[in-house]
Amino acid sequence: MLFQNNPIPGEDAKRFMQIVPERRRMIDETPAKPLPSTYAVNELAKELHPGFIPARIAAIRMETDDVRTFTLVPADSNKAFPYFRAGQYITLSAKIGTSRLTRAYSLSSSPKQALAGIYEVTVRRAGLFSSWLIDQATVGTELTLGEPSGDFCHDNLRDADTIVAIAGGCGITPFRSMIKAILEGSEHYRMTLIYGARSRSDIIYKKELEELTDERIRVITVLSDEEAEGYEHGFITADLLKKYAPEAASFFLCGPDAMYHFVKEELKKLQIAGKYVRQEHNAVGNRSLEHPRSFALKVHMRDQVYSIPALENETLMAAMERAGLAAPSRCRSGVCGFCHSKLIAGNYTVPEEHEYRRAADFKFGFIHPCCSFPDSDMEIDVPTE
Amino acid sequence: MKQYDAIVIGAGNGGLAAAVKLLSSGKSCLVCEKHNLPGGFATSFVRGRFEFEASLHEFNGIGTPENPGSARKLFRELGVEDKIEWIQLKDAFHLISQEEGYRFTMPFGLEAFAEATEKLCPGGREYVERLFSLGLQIRNALDYLSASKGKPDPDVLKEQYPDYLNCGSYSVSEGFEAMGFPKIIKDICAAYWCYLGAHCEDLSFLHYVNMLYSYISGGATIPKYRSHELSLAFETRIRELGGHIWYNTEVTNILTDATGHVSGVRLKDGREIKTRHVVANCSPHVVYGQLMDPAAVPERALKLTNARKFAGRGFTVFLGLNRSPDELGIKEHNYFLYDTCDTVRQYHSMEKFQDNTVQATVCLNRANPDCSPAGTTILYMTTLYTEDVWSTVTAEDYYKVKNKATASMIERFEKSTGTRIREHIEEIAVASPVTYARYCGHPQGTIYGYESQYWDGLMPRIMMVEEDHFVPGLRICGGYGERLLGFPSSYKSGNNEAVRTLHDMEKEGESYALSE
Repeated sequence: MLFQNNPIPGEDAKRFMQIVPERRRMIDETPAKPLPSTYAVNELAKELHPGFIPARIAAIRMETDDVRTFTLVPADSNKAFPYFRAGQYITLSAKIGTSRLTRAYSLSSSPKQALAGIYEVTVRRAGLFSSWLIDQATVGTELTLGEPSGDFCHDNLRDADTIVAIAGGCGITPFRSMIKAILEGSEHYRMTLIYGARSRSDIIYKKELEELTDERIRVITVLSDEEAEGYEHGFITADLLKKYAPEAASFFLCGPDAMYHFVKEELKKLQIAGKYVRQEHNAVGNRSLEHPRSFALKVHMRDQVYSIPALENETLMAAMERAGLAAPSRCRSGVCGFCHSKLIAGNYTVPEEHEYRRAADFKFGFIHPCCSFPDSDMEIDVPTE
Repeated sequence: MKQYDAIVIGAGNGGLAAAVKLLSSGKSCLVCEKHNLPGGFATSFVRGRFEFEASLHEFNGIGTPENPGSARKLFRELGVEDKIEWIQLKDAFHLISQEEGYRFTMPFGLEAFAEATEKLCPGGREYVERLFSLGLQIRNALDYLSASKGKPDPDVLKEQYPDYLNCGSYSVSEGFEAMGFPKIIKDICAAYWCYLGAHCEDLSFLHYVNMLYSYISGGATIPKYRSHELSLAFETRIRELGGHIWYNTEVTNILTDATGHVSGVRLKDGREIKTRHVVANCSPHVVYGQLMDPAAVPERALKLTNARKFAGRGFTVFLGLNRSPDELGIKEHNYFLYDTCDTVRQYHSMEKFQDNTVQATVCLNRANPDCSPAGTTILYMTTLYTEDVWSTVTAEDYYKVKNKATASMIERFEKSTGTRIREHIEEIAVASPVTYARYCGHPQGTIYGYESQYWDGLMPRIMMVEEDHFVPGLRICGGYGERLLGFPSSYKSGNNEAVRTLHDMEKEGESYALSE
């Protein structure tokens, strides 16, 4: 025997035989009261991440000729919107004709406004959805929102205490949320905003930015197509960054892809470590093909099968949206993984800068339809929304 | 109306294994998963140029193809073995405990472990060798018990497994005491306690020694492509076998007929699907408290569920660092950082925000050098909260509270190991109990199932598994099940509940066929 604890032989084994009666007794002695229907931590999870939220447009404000700020309120007007981190985005979904469209927009309002039931997004007329928003939607139009998502947010453990925010055009929107968050005290960092616009009439939030007097926030506006007093002229170059960026800073970029390519080259000249350069992801645009073919796309959703056309120059998500399918759509840039789907057959291409799949997804054949272009007829199994 | 032989609720490890087992036995099966991915905690996520492992620290029971452990045998039987690439880990753990001033690495392998113990404590070899021979006896006894299908011969048990019987009722503390272990031997041998989340006065000695023996004798592994690889391997197997798996599909009700037998499920969108058998891969608190009509829940199910205690609520910090482990001076794969090896005191310190500095931290690159780009490191640190401190956090404070707890874990790691990581953080993500509640739905963000309290440990759970079955046609698997938490346990639990479901189907086969 390896050990004998109890001086009375056999007593330990007897005690072992008692563990079942003992457990029965514990159960017997517990009241059969009803179990909780929910738990505080699960309620907080639901509050922060409710999934989809019915909402309506409460106000529309003109920022520039082709830019509007939409004030959104919950359809159930007594409710708050989920709290979020400044820099995050939401999605807006609506049925337009026979299509079901979902688009991601950075929140331009502050986290505390969310608690009062207000979200704002600022939209420039560009594609189908934004044109519909600006030209067709009115105060009272109902939309479905997707919960706040994304990581384009300051983290004090990772980032420098100052953000150099580099905004191009409508890329200013998340930075407005951050500025508001600094002012209301929900975020604690400094910001040097370097804002590129074509001309003075293209400056979004012009008045708000001019009226800023807080010493934690500095605004430099760079006009590319116009020279004017009080504005920098040209592009956001290394020299300009050197002139305005403090020694220790995290560079946050939000704007068109062309701006990213240009500014990142300029940042290289300043030898900024990669961890101090972060960018918001843009939605995948169309592939430029002269004569895009149309392929047959077979989509399985639960026990339904849909056969729809898919244009070679558009993503699989765009094909599903056009067909009115309720496919899960969020970031539309390949990053969030919300549309994670099983590839059954066919060939496809993912633009390198939108490739964020997990290693095992490649091994077992999973794709993100929002950033995958068809190269042949295809068959996929997609979760429902 | 659509109909299946069985419906599995939840595609966690247990649910996936259950579905594969049912399908490979020729039954039709639908898996309904609330989230858009399979695996539950067994998943991964991408941030920037890093793919983080969501939960797995090390997987025990795989062994080698030639000398398979129990989990590999199960994976083989279920047809997923060849779909997974495993990486063998070299060392068991690196223990740092402030109070005792411990700072040492223990290797895998019985001989190497004994040798390392001897070095730390002359004469220590003899103690751990005794513990290992007990471990072997426990393993053999458990094998005998499962082979005897619940009807063991008492004489065989007494003759061949006397120590198993003698120590069967011990807590870990009692067991070590009975074996006459000096403190340092106890501390070395108890280091894995955090993997089971209960302190040594509560934890079953049998359970713990069986686990320790399994780890040290068989070693541990990780899947090459994070645990997402495991989940997709099972997912793929389900499809191969003709099974269906529906994501973003929440089951809101388990339906029963007038006799109290399962008759179907209702989905969130109101759709009903007929089945006579449900395997639920979720907490009994959720099953009996939320999914079932209260009138259909037997009184004893309520009593048992009320009697149990939630185990640890999870908190994990994921870091992508822009330096290599060598540059950072991170030498080990698996760190246990404790304030003290007094597990009772340590357990109670985890009840509060300010006192909880315990962590089990993994540097993934030390096991899987290719897991991130050259010149970078993936580090993740996990702790448990043993009380519901996160219940009082408001939405507005949530990110601040999370940030503070994260900072203290990073600081603790730096201080304990003498490394500097803070300025090298390129990506950071944090999973709090709220995150775990969000993705997996477990009450209060529990990640460890029901706590292994003394009265509710492995042995009585196994011995009462049929007594704990209350609703005809409904079986519950996963980390809340009879085998408790952990990757191998939850897969085995899923398999076992599928086997029980198959027996249920067999038993009712005739009358059911007639009623159709």
